[in-house]
Amino acid sequence: MTDMPLKPAQQSRLRIFLDSDIFYMFKKSPVAILSTIVVAILVLSAVFAPLIAPTNPFDPASLNLMNGFTGPMTPNAFTGDSFLLGTDDQGRDVFSTILYGMRVSLFVGVAAVLFAMVLGITLGLISGYVGGWTETIIMRTADVQLTFPSILVAMLIFGVAKGFTPVEYRDQMAIWVLILAIGLSDWVQFARVVRGATLVEKRKEYVEAARLIGRTPFAIMLRHILPNVLSPVLVIATISLALAIIAEATLSFLGVGAPATQPSLGTLIRIGQGFLFSGEWWILLFPAVTLLVLALSVNLLGDWLRDALNPRLR
Amino acid sequence: MLAYIIRRIVQSALVLLVVGLTAFSMFRFVGDPIDNMLGQERTAADIERLREQLGLDQSFPVQYFKFLQEAAQGNFGMSYRQGRPVAEILMERAPATLELAAVSGALAIIFGIAFGVFTAIRRNGFLANFIMSASLVGVSLPTFLIGILLIYIFSVELGWLPSFGRGDTVQIGGWSTGLLTATGLKALILPSITLGLYQMTLIMRLVRSEMLEVLRQDYIRFARARGLHDRAINFRHALKNTMVPVITVIGLQLGAIIAFAIITETVFQWPGVGLLFINAVQFVDIPVMAAYLMLISVMFVGINLIVDILYFFIDPRLRVDRAGGH
Amino acid sequence: MLRKLSYAALIAAFAPAAYAEEFTWAVTTDPQTMDPHAVNSAPVLGFLNNVYEGLVRRGQDMAIEPALATSWELIGAGEGWRFNLREGVTFQDGAAFTAQDVLFSYERAASEEADTSSWFSPVSEVVVVDDFTVDIMTTSPNPIFPDSIANWMIMDSGWAEANDAVRPNPDGNYATLNTNGTGAFSITNREPGLRTVLEPHADWWGEAAHNITRAELTPIQNPATALAALLSGDVDFINPVPVQDVARLKNHANVKVIQGIEARVIMLGFPHEAEALKYSAETTQANPFADPRVRRAVAHAINVPAILQTTMRGTAEAVNQLVSPAMRGYSDTLGGEAVFDQAAARGLLAEAGYADGFSFGLKCPNDRYLNDEAVCQAITAMLAQVGMRATLDAMPVQNYWPELRADNYDMYLLGWSPGTFDAEHPIRFLASTPNEEKRLGSWNFGGYSNARVDELLPIIQSEVDDLKRQAMLDEVAQILQDETAYVPLYVQPLVWGARANIDLVQRPDNFFILRWVTVN
Repeated sequence: MTDMPLKPAQQSRLRIFLDSDIFYMFKKSPVAILSTIVVAILVLSAVFAPLIAPTNPFDPASLNLMNGFTGPMTPNAFTGDSFLLGTDDQGRDVFSTILYGMRVSLFVGVAAVLFAMVLGITLGLISGYVGGWTETIIMRTADVQLTFPSILVAMLIFGVAKGFTPVEYRDQMAIWVLILAIGLSDWVQFARVVRGATLVEKRKEYVEAARLIGRTPFAIMLRHILPNVLSPVLVIATISLALAIIAEATLSFLGVGAPATQPSLGTLIRIGQGFLFSGEWWILLFPAVTLLVLALSVNLLGDWLRDALNPRLR
Repeated sequence: MLAYIIRRIVQSALVLLVVGLTAFSMFRFVGDPIDNMLGQERTAADIERLREQLGLDQSFPVQYFKFLQEAAQGNFGMSYRQGRPVAEILMERAPATLELAAVSGALAIIFGIAFGVFTAIRRNGFLANFIMSASLVGVSLPTFLIGILLIYIFSVELGWLPSFGRGDTVQIGGWSTGLLTATGLKALILPSITLGLYQMTLIMRLVRSEMLEVLRQDYIRFARARGLHDRAINFRHALKNTMVPVITVIGLQLGAIIAFAIITETVFQWPGVGLLFINAVQFVDIPVMAAYLMLISVMFVGINLIVDILYFFIDPRLRVDRAGGH
Repeated sequence: MLRKLSYAALIAAFAPAAYAEEFTWAVTTDPQTMDPHAVNSAPVLGFLNNVYEGLVRRGQDMAIEPALATSWELIGAGEGWRFNLREGVTFQDGAAFTAQDVLFSYERAASEEADTSSWFSPVSEVVVVDDFTVDIMTTSPNPIFPDSIANWMIMDSGWAEANDAVRPNPDGNYATLNTNGTGAFSITNREPGLRTVLEPHADWWGEAAHNITRAELTPIQNPATALAALLSGDVDFINPVPVQDVARLKNHANVKVIQGIEARVIMLGFPHEAEALKYSAETTQANPFADPRVRRAVAHAINVPAILQTTMRGTAEAVNQLVSPAMRGYSDTLGGEAVFDQAAARGLLAEAGYADGFSFGLKCPNDRYLNDEAVCQAITAMLAQVGMRATLDAMPVQNYWPELRADNYDMYLLGWSPGTFDAEHPIRFLASTPNEEKRLGSWNFGGYSNARVDELLPIIQSEVDDLKRQAMLDEVAQILQDETAYVPLYVQPLVWGARANIDLVQRPDNFFILRWVTVN
């Protein structure tokens, strides 16, 4: 295939998007524009943290303990070093740890939501399309999952995973367990939406037709049903992302979060809360504000998406 | 219909077994209870002897089977840490958690509905937008941080409210209540705000969007055209119609409240089952952990069952496709 | 002084009930049992010292002083110790204290079910001579025996028998929740994990120096919450105060900080016996830590003053051996300790054949010692700077000990507080070749072994002459330092916080003694 026939199609797709109601509404909503910009800035600075951050806080050899507890933009009394947002208890530059920590938080959040999405969509499609006992088992599990709160699920998985992980991988285990735990507690909503849509679509004539011309059930489900549920899935995913980032922070308070040597925003807040009374406010404040801004803008974006994609509310 | 209910009960029982198995298998990895039961001058022989006495030397299936056997008879064993029957400890701690959950649930429902209605009616008003944004700030911070900040502001800086605990309690039968004393009520304020904030936001947003939807529907327009007052429209018709999904969500969130009580109770040293569970994890008090998780899952599965059966009675069509959260 | 005392007594005599001096204090963990023989741990024994008493007790300076025994002396050339008991002492339920209770408490505390039985391993027999004289016979001369039983608490034999609590039981019995001691306070209400209420024992034999009419112990787990409770006046005393908050609290008008040095020494341990490292990416066939030069390089690489200044905020003190200077038998003749010197560390590593360094796993508890995880993080960074690249695995203590027992570490952090307040204690538990039968080296996870140390220990244990004994302790301390068996880092600080109107005494073993508290 050459590029030529594709180009106009792409252009027209962009055109369609720019002319669409969604984009029109987006242009009209300052909240949506602002939160998109904030999210974009935060995500980009997390992705490019190694380029932006003045130091690498994950490299223990580069740390100087004597730099510990240096206030923002005040030179350290012993080393004379100065840091934009100060340093934490280990002498790590708070600005750098926030950038790297956001990387961990976003990675856990995005991976958990993706995991939940894939799991939820798959199970939703299967239970909607196949029905019968399969459906009963999946949806019953979903019911229990929905009432069984994420923190308990996470603590359970954390305990079990620790037993099964070979000793030499335990230090990396925490991140994957977090993803698994948060993802597992989030898949139900995806599954429900997809199953509902599948039940509706399944009976339509074109699906019947597709089946008649010999397409596999899987292909039918993917090609025809999935596009119809994309917008609710997108809304759920956005809101879940904010929830996942907060959940990670909560779990770190319970001691099942990212390790202190490779902290997430949640771990930074857990460490920082120990210095709330001692006057080193910057160790808590800056990570907390970053988390707040991140979660808030994702939430606002999710909110706006929900309103925008729900035609009944316009 | 009876067949449906029986089938659901059997399914629930199966779920309980699975939860129990998962929970129980977790305990082997939580740590070793022996270290907390013996001091620094213990020997390896002491460790072995105690392990044998507690039945920890037996294989996992044997331990699980024994646990189930005893649990079915309502006997959850003795707490390793407290040396008392677990059932007794749970009964003692349950009122604190249930009162906290009830008060924060009530706060969440009352303020959630009030704010939800308000923000829906004044959809583009300044105050409505402010409430919407402020509520998002509340759910964009982890619970434990909100709790600690509340303590810092209201106990340490202002000195208005107690920093921890339940205050004075009154014993009524087997139930210890903090609702009847001034200190008990004061002690409830911060923890219940911390715990209920998330659910309040959830309910508020749900009520708002349901209201907006209902307000646009034809019969509301007719009502308006008939000259009914706004107030009558808003409350008699619109709000009433938003209640079904709201009740569903409240049912589902009950579990979340109980679970998140773990964090709130830890921050405020609230003597409920959540704090008991965290302590049990810390000291590998296996009988307490097992009983707590079984209790919680019985509750969750029970709520599910009741909701399902209620739906069956209210509207058989909903039986298959129960409305979800959010 | 005397006038002040009688004035206080006068006030106490005329004070109406409303002036009752109530005192509330918060600790991180609730004592898990009220049975003085069931668990040999500091939170339990420390608390129960207010309720139960032993034959001897420790004073404010940790010196042994008479309690239920008024005097004691060596029998013959050291076959045992004779204790002359105090007369007219009653238990809190009114029963009289006699030699029978001592014999019963010995049998109970030395039984297999008890966790305190190791205290009595030198004892061959306890003989009741008469109602107020007891002979405790030892298998060999034991000069420090009275020092080693300060926490052996006497329980009423009649009470224990009547309530079916003749032996401690990990599954719990009457004595787990109820108490009947001879101490200055009795427990009037015990709600485990929630509150424990104490009131003065009216018939206590001693002179009450406190003015408390009711005291309440409450556990508060989250350090920030405990601090908030102290600042807001909800509690009168907390232990511990997070070290980072010391400076701020000192400037607070309503609160004061009581600081001291605990008996606990924080140190690093090594896998002396292991064939190879467990968590190394490249050094999978050798164990660098078996080489004393590598261990000494570790000692050189760690900047202890920086840890003390930053992580511990100047509250702790450096130490060069396994006991703190306050302990009996501390060695001040040690020479040649490794100071912070990165070049020396690199040199030693190169000499040992690890010029490029190596990677390994460092295990650390995160809820056992003050700022343990932060200290380990700092150590990780310091070791990385000389080429020893540690992967830190910090975990709660309930997972930590099983990991150490299973030898899942390349280096670990350990704190040791000698129960006898004597330098012999860590030698027995940490430096002796592990020997299950003789109860030696039970915390020597790495299996450190030195024939001379093993040879000296029994002689130290039975040497009555203080000078000779000290010479041997000095020799052991020097061996342990020369071989860098452990890397001692610092002595953990004691940081207590109290409301400004509270007077109290801090004892170096971190025991909170209620009868030394005055509420002003």
